[in-house]
Amino acid sequence: MMTSKLASTFLGLSALSLMAGTALAQDRTLTINSFGGAYEEAHRKCIITPFEQENGATVQIVTAYSADAFAQLRAQKDAPQFDVIHFSGGQEIVGAAEGLLSPIDEAKLSNAADLYPFAKANLAGGEGPAYSIAAIGLIYNSETAPKAPSSWADLKDPAFADHLVLTDISNGYGMLGFLMLNQVSGGDLDNIQPGLDAVTELLGNGAIVVSTSPEIQQEFAQNDAWVAPYASDYAFTLRKAGLPAKFVQGSEGTPASYITTNLVSGRPNQDLALKFIDKTISPEAQACFAEALRYSPTNAKAELSAEVAADVAYGEDGVKGLLRFDPKVIEANRAKWVEAWNKTIAR
Amino acid sequence: MSDRAENLLLALPGLLLLALAFFLPIGQMMLLSLSGPDGPTLEHFARFLGDSYYLGILWRTVRLSLIITAICAVIGFPLAYIMARVGPRLRMWLVIAVILPLMTSVVVRTFGWMVLLSRSGLVPELLRDMGLVGRSFGLMQTETAIVIGMVQVLLPFMTLSILGVVTRIEIRLEEAARTMGCSFLQTMRAVVLPLSLPGIVAGSLLVFTLSASSFVTPNLLGGARIQVLASSIYKSVTQSLEWPFAAAQAVILFVGILLVLVPYIRLSGARHG
Repeated sequence: MMTSKLASTFLGLSALSLMAGTALAQDRTLTINSFGGAYEEAHRKCIITPFEQENGATVQIVTAYSADAFAQLRAQKDAPQFDVIHFSGGQEIVGAAEGLLSPIDEAKLSNAADLYPFAKANLAGGEGPAYSIAAIGLIYNSETAPKAPSSWADLKDPAFADHLVLTDISNGYGMLGFLMLNQVSGGDLDNIQPGLDAVTELLGNGAIVVSTSPEIQQEFAQNDAWVAPYASDYAFTLRKAGLPAKFVQGSEGTPASYITTNLVSGRPNQDLALKFIDKTISPEAQACFAEALRYSPTNAKAELSAEVAADVAYGEDGVKGLLRFDPKVIEANRAKWVEAWNKTIAR
Repeated sequence: MSDRAENLLLALPGLLLLALAFFLPIGQMMLLSLSGPDGPTLEHFARFLGDSYYLGILWRTVRLSLIITAICAVIGFPLAYIMARVGPRLRMWLVIAVILPLMTSVVVRTFGWMVLLSRSGLVPELLRDMGLVGRSFGLMQTETAIVIGMVQVLLPFMTLSILGVVTRIEIRLEEAARTMGCSFLQTMRAVVLPLSLPGIVAGSLLVFTLSASSFVTPNLLGGARIQVLASSIYKSVTQSLEWPFAAAQAVILFVGILLVLVPYIRLSGARHG
């Protein structure tokens, strides 16, 4: 008897505390996704931990890449579990169109006014602001390359010939680099043939094709690669590995991969979620991200040291050349383009 | 309980495992390869067989597998013969030397080759210093690299298959051949080689099937530009997300290997069955 009474009291107590816990948690807890590894580390240091301290909140992180996170968001349509969701592959455009993401009132974000216009183009439509940008330009070996490249057309310079490294378009950055090569060769999103022809020419000169970013590092470290069209953050990775790699934006433009922070619709505490988004686009958070990973900031007030600024698209001039290939068109054509690419590079 | 039932009972776990882990997935894969947006269709097969690009991949897969098998047999047979004829101590060390590479992951071994074969790696450097090749000579991302890497990976399978048979060949048969006036090479050709054929056939089957379906080594040493069937299937599954097409390619690989295996098994069965 004694034990069962005790047990029921204990149960009641724990139920009570559990309820209190949930109520409290609902007010001050956010669930977000991050991309794992070094990215998540920087995310935590630059945004999440400062946010938790300032607002007395708890942020739960689910590690999920954009495509996975988007699949989860779709599956949870009736009972969403994320408050804020981050995408790097343009998923916010589809998510907003499907009503999975909430429109954002610009007035509710104190930092929105300082964002470059392209970073907040469709807040009212539900596409969250871009808080950092992976800029695709030219990574080159500053010691052994005979000269520094300055434009995308330079890729065809015979001087680089068999020291040029191209990335397979199954890789997201590889796709953007290829579409840019296609554009400077006279093609567009309806016609990638000029790009494929350019690739055939480059391969004829001896260019090498790799599939993953570590292979780029290997080419630079072991095979004396001179130039590779790729993302600015990777030039930093190479340099941290002790390689003399520099990043330069091609003069014709810089394809960009936007990393966005989005407000999920149908969640109870959107006000706190908006505060988190506001923190994400703040100048100090973006400067911290650029410092840690070399992603380009989208807030005009973000201040970078000269060393960091050299590696990213920085300031009015730096972001002027940024351009975005429509992620919807890329998604719709991916299978077809990948097959055409495979046939082009096949020996 | 009759003998028959007892036998069946004993074989049951194995049969169940085979059904669950082999026939079920293969059946599903075949169904998937026929699935289209509007009911069953052969379009995935038509797409593969009607495109010279994919036929080229199939041909490369078969061709490289045959070359790899042949090289493994040529290296493996003498090695196995020597292993069978030396003293037990030395044999143990030779067996260890052959098996040792199997103890490390195929990825690690392949990376070793990448270091050796890359543009500034040991092998091209050496060839360049000897003046045999030009400045920009490299072995990475070539079919040669795939063959070299695969032979190293698969040689143990061939050697051990042959070794099992050669050790059972009565040494007196060789002595008899020699006393009858055969030279060493003639003995080899007339006595040892025919008697060790079952081992060579078994080893060739193993090596051929393994190399036709291998993925890691061709992918790492051949790079993105040299596709074999396994890497093309992988690309269809993970990159363009065309699962029915991937399944169709897998069925083609499966049927292709079966077609090669059947006459091979017949051949060895007819001689020694």
